[in-house]
This record gives sequence, structure tokens and C-alpha cells, in this order.
Amino acid sequence: MAKVALQMVEQSGVDVNALVDKLIRAASAEFTTYFYYTILRVNAIGLEGEGLKEIIEDARLEDRNHFEALVPRIYELGGEIPRDIQDFCTMAACPDAYLPNNPRDIKELLTVLVEAERCAIRVYTEICNMTFGKDHRTYELSLAILNEEIEHEAWFSEFLGEGPSGHFRRGHPGESPYTSRFMVVPTNGHGG
Amino acid sequence: MAISTTDSIRYVDCLAINEVPPGKSKLLWVNSWPILIGNDGGQIYALYGLCGHQQLSLEGGQIWRGVVDCPWHHFQYELKTGENLYPKRVYPLQHLPHLCEQVKSLQTFPVRLVNHIIQVGLPTTETRGATIDKTAVLGC
Repeated sequence: MAKVALQMVEQSGVDVNALVDKLIRAASAEFTTYFYYTILRVNAIGLEGEGLKEIIEDARLEDRNHFEALVPRIYELGGEIPRDIQDFCTMAACPDAYLPNNPRDIKELLTVLVEAERCAIRVYTEICNMTFGKDHRTYELSLAILNEEIEHEAWFSEFLGEGPSGHFRRGHPGESPYTSRFMVVPTNGHGG
Repeated sequence: MAISTTDSIRYVDCLAINEVPPGKSKLLWVNSWPILIGNDGGQIYALYGLCGHQQLSLEGGQIWRGVVDCPWHHFQYELKTGENLYPKRVYPLQHLPHLCEQVKSLQTFPVRLVNHIIQVGLPTTETRGATIDKTAVLGC
């Protein structure tokens, strides 16, 4: 455990237990989303679905990266993820992103995706608000993830025709341009 | 605690209006009822205070434009009707009907303001808890 790092966070006034709980819930949501997005990606077929598949894959891999980046911080703060995966999944900070009733309806599929990203934005905004000016490391990590979740929302929202996002595409799947520098094994040039 | 009774509703003092600022919510146990009181830009609402998902308290849930957001897993309910807005709209209830249990509507309660005190009207006979949502999609 990073004793002084933990002490500094406690001294800054952050409720570390509450923060760790939020981080575990966030990690769980990333983990379960990775699983559900796998199913959504598989089902993104047909003329419209094939175009969506790559974007789901980008978001899927980046959500896995978020899980990877969150776990070390949980342990640094003295927490741990549950030993039972079923307990872990039940804690997810967001509802499960189930395959919709009609997977061939691209709009239904996209609605699941965009709502999942919107939930993630709420989760990381809360953590940023909780740690801003207090727990700098968790704040930076959460802000990095928040940046990616906001882009994910914009991609899917744009696909739904809700408005342009200015986004084009990632350099490669799972690039995580904001979060990769927090990962033990970076996925791109940000430190690796 | 002031109480006034109509035919089937009993109004009970709950909170001073300034104890629930706009955008915030507070959970109270009133005669063993978990009641969430929310302030949406000055409009006060009261509804059953445990989320249908895992029966966790909605206290602290953010209020925004007629919706309360559960602080635990971000289930969202319409304050006026108690209807689950999310994730009900994306859950595949035809294929996974057991999910209906999680997205039932929450019971709502009438509210009135008397001398800056929020009073909530509690039913005198009805069953406590979340109500069955008769309007839910097929399978619910």
C-alpha cells in the first residue's frame, strides 16, 4: 500500500472509503461493459451494422483499458476488488448494456451504447468532483477516462444523427489517447 | 409531528423546505416508509425512496429536469410519476423478463407545503413499496 500517498488523500479531506467504493463500482462497470460490448459488436452486422462495428470495438477496448487503469489506483488507496466475480459484477456503477430486443434494429443497438456512455460520464464526473484539488492522481486518471467516455458518447450520438461531434476516428482500436499513460502496459506512444 | 387525514391519505410533516435545496434529495423514514423528497428547481416531489434495482437508498440522488438519478447505479426515475426512465428504455424485457423486477415504477406521494414545512401524504391502507408498472413493455 502506498502509505504516504494514502495519507495525503485522507488529509486533503477525501472520504477514502467512499472514493474506493466508487472506483470499484466504476471498474466493475468497465469490466461488464467490455463483456456486453463484445456481444453488441458481434451483432453489429448488415449494411448499417458493419459501419458501427469498428466504433463499438474502439469503445469496447478502451473500456477494458479503463478497467486496467483503475485497478492499481484501487489498491494504492488500500482497497481491493471483490474476490468473487459475481459480487464484483453486481456492484457495477451502471446498468448492464444488454443486447436489445431486436439486435437487427441499429437504432435500438445504438441507444444501448449511447446510454451506457452517458452513464459512464456521470460516474467519472462524480469522481472528478470528489477528488478535484484533493487527490490529484485519482483526479487525473478519472479525468482521462472521462475524456474518452465523452468521446464515446459523441461517436454513438453522432451515429444516431443527434449532431456532429467533430470526431473522425482513432489511430488504432483501443488507442485510449488519454488513459494509456496510466496503464502498466501502455497501448501507444504515451510512455511506452 | 403534525398529521392530518383525508379519506385515504394522511399528511405528515417531513422537512423544512430549506432542508432540501434545489437539485438535491433527502431520504426520510416516515412511519416505516422510506420516502425520498426531491427538489426540482423549487418543485417538491415525494416518492418511494428505495431504488427498484437493489433496494438501495436513493438519498443523495441528483435531481435534474424532473428526473432523479440513483447514486448507486444510475437508474433514473421520473419524479412526477415514479416511472423508471433508464435503463427500462434499453432493457430487453421481452428476452430477459426477470429484469422487470428492477425497473418497476416507484410509488409517488402527494406533497403540500404548510408554513414552510413539506408534508407528504401517505396512504392509510395501501401496500408499501414499489408498485407494479402496468404500462411496461411486453413481458412485464
